[in-house]
Amino acid sequence: MIGALRRSTELGLVLLGGVITASIYTLASLGRTASLPADIGPFLGVVLGLVLVAHVATRRLAPAADGILLPIAGLLNGIGYVFIARLDENLAALQAVWTAVGIGAYIGTLVVIRRIRDLEQYRYTLMFVGLALLLLPLVPVIGRTINGARIWVQLGPMSFQPGEFAKIVLAVFFASYLVEKRELLGMASVRIGPLMLPDLKHFGPVLLAWGASLIVMFYERDLGSSLLFFAVFVVMLWIATERWAYLGVSAVLFGAGATVAWRTFSHVQVRIENWLDPWQDVADRGFQTVQATFALAFGGITGTGPGLGSPGRIPAAETDFIFAAIGEELGLLGSTAVLVAFLLMVGTGLRISLRADNPFEKLLAAGLTAIIGIQSFIIIGGVIRLVPLTGITLPFVSYGGSSLVANYVLLALLMRISDSEERPVGAP
Amino acid sequence: MNRQIRRLGIGMLALFLALFAQLNIVHVFRAESYNDNPNNTRAVTRDFNRPRGQIVAADGTVLARSEAVEGGQFNRQRVYPEGELFGHITGYFSFSFGFSGVEQSYNAELAGRTAPRIQDLAEHLLERDPTADVTITIPTEVQRVARDGLGEQRGSVVALDPRDGSILALWSFPSYDPTALSAADQDASRAAREQLLAAPENPLLPRAYRETFFPGSTFKVVTAAAGLASGAINPQEPDYPRLAEFVPPQTNQPIRNFGGATCGGVLIDILRVSCNTAFAQLGVEMGAEPLVTTASALGFNDRPPIDLPAPVASTISPPEFFDDNIPVLAQTAIGQNAVRATPLQMAMVAGAIANGGTVMAPHVMAEVVNDDGEVIDRYRPSVWRTAMTPEVAATVTEAMVAVVADGTAGGLAVPGVTTAGKTGTAQIGNDLSHAWIIGFAPAEAPRVAVAVIVEAREGASEQTGGRVAAPIARAVLAAALEARPS
Repeated sequence: MIGALRRSTELGLVLLGGVITASIYTLASLGRTASLPADIGPFLGVVLGLVLVAHVATRRLAPAADGILLPIAGLLNGIGYVFIARLDENLAALQAVWTAVGIGAYIGTLVVIRRIRDLEQYRYTLMFVGLALLLLPLVPVIGRTINGARIWVQLGPMSFQPGEFAKIVLAVFFASYLVEKRELLGMASVRIGPLMLPDLKHFGPVLLAWGASLIVMFYERDLGSSLLFFAVFVVMLWIATERWAYLGVSAVLFGAGATVAWRTFSHVQVRIENWLDPWQDVADRGFQTVQATFALAFGGITGTGPGLGSPGRIPAAETDFIFAAIGEELGLLGSTAVLVAFLLMVGTGLRISLRADNPFEKLLAAGLTAIIGIQSFIIIGGVIRLVPLTGITLPFVSYGGSSLVANYVLLALLMRISDSEERPVGAP
Repeated sequence: MNRQIRRLGIGMLALFLALFAQLNIVHVFRAESYNDNPNNTRAVTRDFNRPRGQIVAADGTVLARSEAVEGGQFNRQRVYPEGELFGHITGYFSFSFGFSGVEQSYNAELAGRTAPRIQDLAEHLLERDPTADVTITIPTEVQRVARDGLGEQRGSVVALDPRDGSILALWSFPSYDPTALSAADQDASRAAREQLLAAPENPLLPRAYRETFFPGSTFKVVTAAAGLASGAINPQEPDYPRLAEFVPPQTNQPIRNFGGATCGGVLIDILRVSCNTAFAQLGVEMGAEPLVTTASALGFNDRPPIDLPAPVASTISPPEFFDDNIPVLAQTAIGQNAVRATPLQMAMVAGAIANGGTVMAPHVMAEVVNDDGEVIDRYRPSVWRTAMTPEVAATVTEAMVAVVADGTAGGLAVPGVTTAGKTGTAQIGNDLSHAWIIGFAPAEAPRVAVAVIVEAREGASEQTGGRVAAPIARAVLAAALEARPS
């Protein structure tokens, strides 16, 4: 019953999102500074149609799952597609293909994983897979450095960012590991002054995660992923153990790592300097940040209108900086809408987590939601200079196959958890 | 775990609220300063590709218009059919170098961004651009007379209507043609700029309102007004002794009259022959305070509120400065040393006296007309300063009429019109001097005030201003009176 209601809500919202996306697209193609050739119009139809396909698949595969997540993902995907098409028409077709693959992965995940709990048994396999994915770009021959970050892997004609998938696989591993060890990790046995701390040996996993994230930062030069990876782990640890001590110790570790990185690595120094004062080197180092700031300021409250701004001046406007492009052309209203969309996703994800009976599913849902929330915060905050810029994609919005596919898989996992909550025990 | 999950929710909400707050700052609160940042070319690019209104002279001559260009980075470029004649007024409109002049000060109107929003929407649907034309106050003919009069002499001519501050001529030589600088082809634009920067005497500089000079004896009308306002003199007395030289206190360097002449008398006499010794004495006797006060009331030490970008202030040192510098005060009273003025400011001095002591804000915009021919904005004259009482102004006017009728400014007399004027020869060393003249007409109901400077002429006699500058000013006065019938 609740399933039917949710699915019709979902359908309505998917259609609404489609109308919004199509409207922005139409306006963008009327804009005079953009020239959208007529032949990429059909791709938009493909993108919107795919979301509908996902909806139909959900009806069959996870009928009782939450009805808000998919429409929001579809809307973000659609808006992202419009801006990608508006910025670089050559990327539009590719992004449509990636969307198809992403939706395929979404459906595939729902087909293959009928019960989230089944994943628990592959815990250590997943750990190795996750770590392997994380470190894969460091392997000679297949590892590729693009724009200074060694986060790509090239296999034959295909290249992808394994880190995007590692974050999900590792979240699953964390969830099962932490659920098993939470009693142990949560015990307070050491007193330091007024603080009761868990036994020091339990900080081992924290140190391990910290070390892995440092490797990502130092060797792959991927500050964003490193930060995301560590933050998500810490949040999950904190939720599982219910102990603030882990947050405190992690904050100290993070501070130490960040300080050392700042002192040692020029690329980290540049990020910090650009955050504090991008105006000292407007033409070069500060260029991207300054252009993003100009774009947002030029957009004002209502934006220039789709197709009427010049977001093409912002380097990486299709990927990491797509939020600035949206802000320029849709203004404060548009950028706030994107914020609200992510906040709704986070809220829905956490609600799913709260409703879950099984601790593993509960923790996993919280972790996956934290990925979406923290990742979008890191990149949006970096673009608008609230925090230092650490390049990472904006989930569902940025151009990029790995990111899009991984996020659809993540979405499918959340939907699966949500679906199982609403069904009587033992039902298929 | 549920409590932690809720806390996580609160934490995420806090993070997103922080994002929202920062978004407001960037999108809205600091937007203006970011948009005005010199590194930000967004606004220029947008305006460069948009249709843009025309700049039109008072008589309807098109001074600037947009022309479509094929290929290249931009769809349009600006063309200035009158070339260098209005270069310093229209300014240029270049993608690489920004804009200047009216192109800058009325950019919003020309680009059509002042129309109400709701109208914008309708225009958008009609695929029309709500640009507007800016009509300026200068008649082409008057500007041309100014240019032809000055010829190839470095200098400036400014004429204005003292009643409302309308600029009627604003010419400086050398000038430049903004068309090449505004080319859509950025290489051509850059080359044009290089050439202008390499040219002697900086043609890009509108000397009329961005360069200051010693005003020389034209400043004596300010000294006279200060003396009258402070009560130090009146039309009858004092009767200054006839002297060939005057030695101020604190020095033994005398101030002499031009050509070693001997002069003196009451106000009307000393202004008529531009008597240095008498005015230096007046300055010393009344003190710096009244002189600086009157000069400031006329606009010195403040940027004039003209609607052209970055006008410079004319300057006079503060009263305290003169306490220990009485000889400098004596020189300042005759327009040398501690006083510098733009030609615009000296035209405003003449205008203030002509207008009964009231300084009107100078302006070049007459009206803004939209595509449908509706006037959407018209310049509303505004009083900038009250510099002196009508009585003082009338007394100075009387003396200035005598200067033209029977003194150094005879060459300024417009036939059939009572003309008031004052010459000046500002010595700048090396036997060079600036030849000045200021004046207005008709004296009984002034409609035009004028200031002319011909820079760095050889020779330094009081006749220079009268001989060199007066004919130019006369021609401009005559042309402006014709173009601006009462």
